[in-house]
Amino acid sequence: MAPEIETEASSPILEVRNLTVTFGSFTAVDGISFSLDEGQTLAVVGESGSGKSVTALSIMRLVELGTRGRIESGEILYRGANGEVTDLVQESEDAMRQVRGNQISMIFQEPLTSLNPVYTVGDQVAEAVMLHQRLGRREAKGRALEMMRQVRIPDPEQRMGQYPHEMSGGMRQRVMIAMALSCDPRVLIADEPTTALDVTIQAQILGLMRDLQRTRSAAVMIITHDMGVVAEVADQVVVMNQGQVVEAGSVFDIFEDPKEPYTRALLAAVPRLGSMAGRSDPAPFDLVAP
Amino acid sequence: MSDLMLGSGAEAMAPPGREAWRMFFRNKAAVAGLFLLLGVILMTFLGPYVYDEDPKDIVARPLKGPGTEDVPGLGTDYLGRDVLAGVVNGGLTSLRVAAIAAALIVMIGVTIGAVSGFYGGVIDNALMRFTEVFQVLPALLFAMVVVALFGPSPWKVSIAIGLVLWPQLARLTRAEFLRLKNMEFVKAAQAIGSSDLRIIMRVILPNALPPLIVATTLVMGGAILLEAGLAFLGLGDANEVSWGLMIGQNRTNFITSWWTVTFPGLAIFVTVLSFSLIGDGLQDAFNPKLRGR
Amino acid sequence: MKRFAIRILWSIGLVLAVIFLNFSLIHLAPGDPATVIAGESGAGDPAVIDQIRADYGLDRSFVAQLASYVVRVAQGDLGDSFFFNQSVVSLIWARLWPTILLVATALIFAIVVGVLVGIFTARRPESRLSHSATILALAGYSMPVFWTGLMLVILFASVFKVLPISGMRDVQFDGGLLASWVDIGKHLILPAFTLGFLFLAQYSRLARASMLEVLQSDFVRTARSKGLSERVVVYKHALRNAVIPVVTVAGLQFGTMLSGAILVETVFNWPGLGRLAFDAVLRRDAPVLLGVLLVSTLLVIVVNLLTDVVYRIIDPRIRVGGAAA
Repeated sequence: MAPEIETEASSPILEVRNLTVTFGSFTAVDGISFSLDEGQTLAVVGESGSGKSVTALSIMRLVELGTRGRIESGEILYRGANGEVTDLVQESEDAMRQVRGNQISMIFQEPLTSLNPVYTVGDQVAEAVMLHQRLGRREAKGRALEMMRQVRIPDPEQRMGQYPHEMSGGMRQRVMIAMALSCDPRVLIADEPTTALDVTIQAQILGLMRDLQRTRSAAVMIITHDMGVVAEVADQVVVMNQGQVVEAGSVFDIFEDPKEPYTRALLAAVPRLGSMAGRSDPAPFDLVAP
Repeated sequence: MSDLMLGSGAEAMAPPGREAWRMFFRNKAAVAGLFLLLGVILMTFLGPYVYDEDPKDIVARPLKGPGTEDVPGLGTDYLGRDVLAGVVNGGLTSLRVAAIAAALIVMIGVTIGAVSGFYGGVIDNALMRFTEVFQVLPALLFAMVVVALFGPSPWKVSIAIGLVLWPQLARLTRAEFLRLKNMEFVKAAQAIGSSDLRIIMRVILPNALPPLIVATTLVMGGAILLEAGLAFLGLGDANEVSWGLMIGQNRTNFITSWWTVTFPGLAIFVTVLSFSLIGDGLQDAFNPKLRGR
Repeated sequence: MKRFAIRILWSIGLVLAVIFLNFSLIHLAPGDPATVIAGESGAGDPAVIDQIRADYGLDRSFVAQLASYVVRVAQGDLGDSFFFNQSVVSLIWARLWPTILLVATALIFAIVVGVLVGIFTARRPESRLSHSATILALAGYSMPVFWTGLMLVILFASVFKVLPISGMRDVQFDGGLLASWVDIGKHLILPAFTLGFLFLAQYSRLARASMLEVLQSDFVRTARSKGLSERVVVYKHALRNAVIPVVTVAGLQFGTMLSGAILVETVFNWPGLGRLAFDAVLRRDAPVLLGVLLVSTLLVIVVNLLTDVVYRIIDPRIRVGGAAA
């Protein structure tokens, strides 16, 4: 195992080094490196197909289950609670199952299809708790109820016994968050968590995630294509395009002084207030930031 | 030719293009099925000329197995008739009955399904209730009743089978029409004033063909099995040789004279298998999403 | 609940439609309806014919006859069989439960083994066992069920003489109740397997396709991301979803299974409704045949309703008609 990384206030809890992931002959992720610091929110931005979701799934080692994905090379270094660093790429499947849902959790984009339609919401939230914390059924249900309250689901006692199809999209995403945080993970990976939701709900969910992160000092890796979301929640940003890291830096650096043309194009694609000032008709705006 | 561009909208199963045919021929099982069917057809139509024996002739002592002295290729049945001749000639009845039944099934099923799916509403409801009556009747049993009451001529058997198997095709056609009737190319046709009949026959139906073709292939297999079952039970035409009849007639001694039932049954199996393989291959070719990698 | 009540009403309507169909068949068949009802055995006797004419009111108008026919059936009178010299109802009643036993066993066998095979072939699609299973499945539903039965009889009568190949009970049986059940059970094995094998093939293919699709779902990905073992993911999360189409199809095919049962009962001499139908056909005994048709159809309708119930239990989305807010 790699030697202990220096424990500073913002030392990396997760560090990806030269990760390459392929699907058959197609290279989805091509030698990328970035790191996630404890207590920070890292946004991985890019358009569809840039490899951001594959990266997330690779960290969880889920990319190889059920698809033809293969982690060709690279390291994913994770610093556990006791300070020891392990390379997740080398870990056995048994070891990974201890990590998933327990130390590193993930939430996904489509809350309706991401929850099992035939089991109650309460059962699904309690499941991870029963598995990782070895609680009995009743205690696990109690913990699930507590989590549902923390994600601000109204009337949680009643909601526990409901099925996913009986809830709205925003509510389901809260359930997913409750499920992901139920075992107090140290890292939360959120793959486009608000993309499928209404804009107003989006704001609520992002606010919720920010609050929860603060109280738990977990590290969050949020994947998105929406620069607005990045501006709202991120501390650090990694920009990806076609499987490679184009630019990385703090959110302020990226927004105020983007160095790469692709980054600038991404930023410029966000409509700006006042860009149509003085015109009577809409017009296309420049794809390079002024 | 069609007076419209059948462009937008039709996803899932488009009219079979060359890509689909290519995929079909790459499917080993499907091609095997095609060869099997070809073999069966050849045997049925050319076989009696190549192997000239009359299956109704008594040629040797009864119940003599294959390989016994003075006994033709596959042995003799309980009357002393040639089993091989029976196998070679028996296909004709089965295939003919099944083909006529399949034609009936397609005609009735597609018509009812199309009208039901296209017009919807009260007509749909009424037709579906009507279909349900025939769907709950156990197929073989109903066919037995019809044949028992009306007589076992081959036409009546075909009609009985047709009456019993059409609901599946009706449901499928209806589902396809429901799916397709709201698509843009249909609205385009309505906008230029095409009559309902024209729209049904020339606009929607061609697009609904792929699943219908698959279903018809599978229905042929089902019809053959049903015909064999009826013949086995003694409800087929007793004057014509058929595989099911051969098996039924030799029931009393079949344990010791296994060849009397094994070979006719094998013939049925191979024929139905060929249809299953072809139908499966067609389905895979027309709808690659279903192949579940 | 209301929707279910409507279904039951429709089902009753369906039964009436079938009764009407039966009635029509008697009258559409060539020959005098009285002769049709009398069957081969009764047709020769003029006294019997007159009796039938009086009983069924065959001189009255069509509608009146239909009405009285419906009333008779509703009261449980399906006519008499002249060959068996019994009322049709008593004949059917005696043969009903062997058929139900046979079909239920075959159904359970087909579904359980079919689903297990489906799961296995879905999880390991490249293994040789999977390929063999797929080929066997395809062969299974292309074989005429009576031929499969005959082949098995030959096998177990001449080669592996371990199972009884005919009847439901040992003719010389002389034991207590429990031993009696065991005896029936032994006799049940081959016929139930033959009947089940036909559908096993189909269900395993369906289960495989369904499982493959479910294993690609988002919620399976979520389950894995929680750290659940693959076994829990497959058997707890995926299975219940994958099983839904199998149950639906199985329910819808009950009629086909009854048809298959006719052939299997004939081959194995199993004393059920199928065998009765066969005997009735040989004698052109219309009342019995029509009675069996009616009762079988009734069974199919009941099973369809049951399938609906089971479906609702497995899939909560269908229960309260819950639409996403």
